[in-house]
Amino acid sequence: MDEQYTFTKRVRNILAIAATAGLLLTVASIFIFKPDSSRIWANVLLNNQLFIGIALGGAFFLAVHRIALSGWHTALQRIPEALTSFLPVAFLLMALLFFGMKDLYHWSHSDLHDPVLEAKSAWLNLPFFFIRMVLYFAGWIVLTWGMKKQTDALMDSGDIKFHNRRKIFAGLFLVFFGITVSTSSWDWIMSIDAHWYSTIFGWYVFIGMFVSSLAFMIVLIWFLKRAGYLAVIRVDHIHDLGKLLFAFSIFWTYLWFSQYLLIWYGHIPEETIYFVQRREDFELLFFLNLGLNFIIPFFGLMKLDLKRKLNWLAGVAGVVLIGHWIDYYQMIMPGAAGEHAGIGLLEIAMTLFYAGLFLFVVLRALASKPLLVKKDPFLEESLHFES
Amino acid sequence: MKNKKYITVVFDDEVPMLQAVHKIQESDQSIQDVLTPFPVHGLDKALKMKRTRIPVAGFICGAIGGLFGFLFQAWIFTVDYPLVFGGKPYLSVPSFIPVTFELTVLFTAVGVVSALFIRSRFIPRKKFEPIHDRITDDRFVILVDAAENEESTRSSLQSLLAGISNVEIV
Repeated sequence: MDEQYTFTKRVRNILAIAATAGLLLTVASIFIFKPDSSRIWANVLLNNQLFIGIALGGAFFLAVHRIALSGWHTALQRIPEALTSFLPVAFLLMALLFFGMKDLYHWSHSDLHDPVLEAKSAWLNLPFFFIRMVLYFAGWIVLTWGMKKQTDALMDSGDIKFHNRRKIFAGLFLVFFGITVSTSSWDWIMSIDAHWYSTIFGWYVFIGMFVSSLAFMIVLIWFLKRAGYLAVIRVDHIHDLGKLLFAFSIFWTYLWFSQYLLIWYGHIPEETIYFVQRREDFELLFFLNLGLNFIIPFFGLMKLDLKRKLNWLAGVAGVVLIGHWIDYYQMIMPGAAGEHAGIGLLEIAMTLFYAGLFLFVVLRALASKPLLVKKDPFLEESLHFES
Repeated sequence: MKNKKYITVVFDDEVPMLQAVHKIQESDQSIQDVLTPFPVHGLDKALKMKRTRIPVAGFICGAIGGLFGFLFQAWIFTVDYPLVFGGKPYLSVPSFIPVTFELTVLFTAVGVVSALFIRSRFIPRKKFEPIHDRITDDRFVILVDAAENEESTRSSLQSLLAGISNVEIV
């Protein structure tokens, strides 16, 4: 019951080395290959978006389960909670974009002479962009911190009032997140192609976040169980996580296709240009995106037994994570870097740096507290439920 | 199944029913069937039932439906009645996807229900003879195989289930 994860020196060293090597290789590849600055900034944005998505997906997972008074997730709630501890670091990394605005966002140039963008300048202007960024992160960090605080209080006392307060924070988070996840995706991704817009874009980004977060949680549970922790997470919990990954992968495809079909059918040049660019210049990735995010989880997790095998599930989850990296690549690179885009050492090194840093922060947060919330009113249900 | 003799044990809640199932499984009596108004968690495990093969039927029907839907549209729009819609080519895959999806779902749903009806011999005009009047309402029923001498089974069941609340042995 008081099981606690120890962040061993070996794991810590591996992650520190991975992050440092990633950073050094990034710097080296910038000096050796001299990529266009737009490609460098697009990579920063891509990795920020991917790992913020994983962190926010964890917060959404917690909030939605608490609002629904779910019991089953109680035994594993520390894991999504640990994911959210990356948000303050993500804020610092996102603020770095201040130096790359001109390279990433065409609308941030001062001499536009473009009536379409000038008409959008009430929303798309530099001061408001950063004010919004601060607001988003402030809301996300404060509300997830609130949920975390109440859970910590539950740890020792088990008083139901902490559970009720946690529910209030979860509700506030869901409302705030529901709005900001759309607006932040407009700000950070959709405004790269500032002439283009899609009304379903916020949902599409949001569901990508949630799927990648689920996949990351599954991989993390696989890692922790291999290291001998979390014996209380039984095959029933694994099965439920597998169902969620399966279902939301299909939902991601649904939204992807909803966006594609309408633009393809509508055949309006200012809208179709978005997909023309992606299908002609990034054809392999365009179809790989669908293959990794839909075909593999759909057929790989369709059978009941396969959802219950943690090794297999973690493998599929790993594929889905790569798939969502490619998904963000599809959203960001063609617009931001265009003909300078490519996948080379820079992309791999930068992702290695972010992954190392992310895991370091998350595992450190996970090790700071016991893995189970001992007096959570739903813990007993979670230990005995059957899926 | 019909001419086999059984003893009906009726419960008004699923928790004592599950306890009784475990107790009967441990004794030398055997359970013929358990009837509940809603799915009870852990019951199929307690009865050591084999996994159903209905999902396999569902997958096959779905695959047939998907293929049929796609190929049918492809045939219509390229061979049978080619028409130009919105300047698209005749064989324009994205526009076939919604119908393909719907037909996959339709074939799966109809196929699964038919497979279930065929497998459990739910043929038209079959008469429904409820074992207990409230079986589809709020009662849980265990059917226990009766020996030649029904009374002996009944009395041994009575002593076996003595500790469980609200049991009615018919």
